[in-house]
Amino acid sequence: MPKMPPQVVRLVLLTIGIVGSYLIARYFLTPASFNEYGHYRGAALMEIASHPVVFAGKKSCEDCHFDEFERLGRFEHKTLSCEGCHGAGQAHTENPDIRLAILNFSHCARCHEANPSRPSWHKQIDLRDHYAGEACTECHVAHAPSQVPESPEAP
Amino acid sequence: MTNAVTNIVVELMPHFEGYVYPNEATPQPLWSILIVLYPYITGLVAGAFIMASLVRVFRVKALEPVYRLSMLTAFAFLLCAPLPLLFHLGHPERCLEVMMTPHLTSPMAIFGFVYAWYLMAVLLLELWFDYRRDLVAWAEQTSGFKGMLYRLFTVGVTDVSEPALKLDAKIGQFLSVVGIPSAFLLHGYVGFIFGSVKANPWWGNVLMPIIFIMSAMVSGIALCVFNYMVLSWIRRRSIDMKCLDVMGMFLFYALVMDAAIEGLDWIHRVYSAEEGFKIMEYMAKEKLFYTLNLGQALMGTLVPLLLLGSLQIRALRQRAPEWLRRRLYFIGSVLILIGVLAMRWNVVIGGQFFSKSLRGVMSYKMEFAGLEGWFMGGLMLALPFIILTVLIKLFLSEKLPSAGHYEPASLKP
Repeated sequence: MPKMPPQVVRLVLLTIGIVGSYLIARYFLTPASFNEYGHYRGAALMEIASHPVVFAGKKSCEDCHFDEFERLGRFEHKTLSCEGCHGAGQAHTENPDIRLAILNFSHCARCHEANPSRPSWHKQIDLRDHYAGEACTECHVAHAPSQVPESPEAP
Repeated sequence: MTNAVTNIVVELMPHFEGYVYPNEATPQPLWSILIVLYPYITGLVAGAFIMASLVRVFRVKALEPVYRLSMLTAFAFLLCAPLPLLFHLGHPERCLEVMMTPHLTSPMAIFGFVYAWYLMAVLLLELWFDYRRDLVAWAEQTSGFKGMLYRLFTVGVTDVSEPALKLDAKIGQFLSVVGIPSAFLLHGYVGFIFGSVKANPWWGNVLMPIIFIMSAMVSGIALCVFNYMVLSWIRRRSIDMKCLDVMGMFLFYALVMDAAIEGLDWIHRVYSAEEGFKIMEYMAKEKLFYTLNLGQALMGTLVPLLLLGSLQIRALRQRAPEWLRRRLYFIGSVLILIGVLAMRWNVVIGGQFFSKSLRGVMSYKMEFAGLEGWFMGGLMLALPFIILTVLIKLFLSEKLPSAGHYEPASLKP
C-alpha cells in the first residue's frame, strides 16, 4: 500500500480534530430541550409562560367597573380592550391603589390621526387643524364616542 | 398643546409620502447600512478569488505578481464578511448558536454552511498548499513570535521535497477549480436571498444571483487593482505594467458583462412594466436618483467603461504613456468600487424605500454614530484593510524571500 503523503495525513488529522471538537462542543452546548417540539428550546415555552402576568384582560375590569363596562359595550368602541388605552392592568387588579392613567389625548391620536393607509370609514382628523384646545375629552367621551360629555372630566 | 400635537405627529408619521402601511412607517428600514456592506464585502471576496483563479486555473501568466495578493485580499475580506450580519442582529454573544443548532431549511441560515465551506474547505486550504514551501523556509529563518506563527502554520509538516511540492500544486489546482463554483455559490447565494423575495418587485427577480455574481467579479478585480497599486506605491516599487494591463483588460470585460446583464434586467423591467413598475420608475427618478443614475450607472459603470475601454484599443494603449495608463486604471477601479457599493445600497435600501402597497415611499436619513451609522459603516469597511495589512506583513513580507508560486513542469501549459 503506498504511503500517504505527510501533508495529507496532517490535514486529515486536523480535520478529524476540528470536526471532533465541534461534535464534542455541540454535545455539551446544545440546550437539553432543543428540538423537543421544533427548531427551538422546548423549555423556552415554560420560561415564557412563567413570566409574571402584566395584562389582566377585559373580563377582570368588568368585575369592578361594571357601569363603565356596560356603557362601553353600547358604543363604537365596544370591541376595544380596556388595556389598549389604559395600559397594562394586572398590578391594578391586585392592588387598586396602583392607579391606571386617566387619558385624555395621546391615546386618541394613536388611532384617529389621519393616515392614508387607514380605511375611509374610520374617523380621522388632522390634529393640527382639528382643535387646539387642551384635551380631546373636552368634546368627546372615549367610552361613548357619539355622546357629548356632561363635564369635561368625564371619561 | 400645539407643540405637543406637532411632536406626536412627527412621532406617529416618520418621513413618507403616499400610501404606506403602518408597519412600514418605521423611522429607519429594518435592513440598513450593515446589510448594505454584507453583500459588498462578500462580493469583494468572490471577485478577488476569481481574479486569483485566473492565474491558477486559466494560466494567465501575466497576473502572477498579484496571485498571492488577490488570495490574501479574498481571505482578509472573507474574515469580515459575517461581521456586519452579526452586528446587525445585535447579539454577538449568540454567534455560536448558529453552529451548535444549525438549521437546514432556512435560506438565511444556509449562509453558515456556504461561508464555512468557502473559508475552511476552499480558501484556507488553497492558501496553505500554496504557501507550504515558504512557510517551512520562513519557520526556519525567523525566530520569536513571528517564527512561532510560521511554525504553527506549517502544522508540523516540513516535507518540501519535489514530489511533495508536486502534490501540493496538484491539490492547489484542484481546490482552485472547486473554488470557482464555490465563489459563485457564495455570492450567488447572497443574490438569491434578495432575488427570492417574491413580494418585493425590486428584489424578486431570477437574474438577481447572476447580477450579484457579475458585480462581485467586477468589484473584486477592481479591489485587486486598487490594492496592487496602493501596495506598490507604499513600497515604492515599480508596477508591472503588463500585469496591470491584463488586470485592466479583465476588469473591462467583466464590467461589460455586468453592465450588459444589469441593462438587460432594466430593459426587461421597463418592457414588461409589471404592476410594480410605476413605483420603480419613481424610485429611479426620485428616491434613488443620485445613487442609481449618478453613482451606479454613470460613475460606476459608464465612466469606467470609457476609461478602461479606451485602453483596450491597441493604438491608444500603445500611445498612452505608462503614468497615464496607471492613472486611468486607478481612477477606473476606484470608481467601480464606489459604483458597486452604490449598487448594493440601491438593492438593499431601494427595496425598502417603497411600500408593499406600491403606492407610497419611505425616506431614510442615515445617522452618524450608532449601530447602523456612518461611523460604524466606515469602521466595517476599514477592518478588512487592517487585517489585510497584517496578512501582507506576514505573508508578502519583503524581508523574507519567497520561492513564489510553485509550478511543476508537468502542470505547465
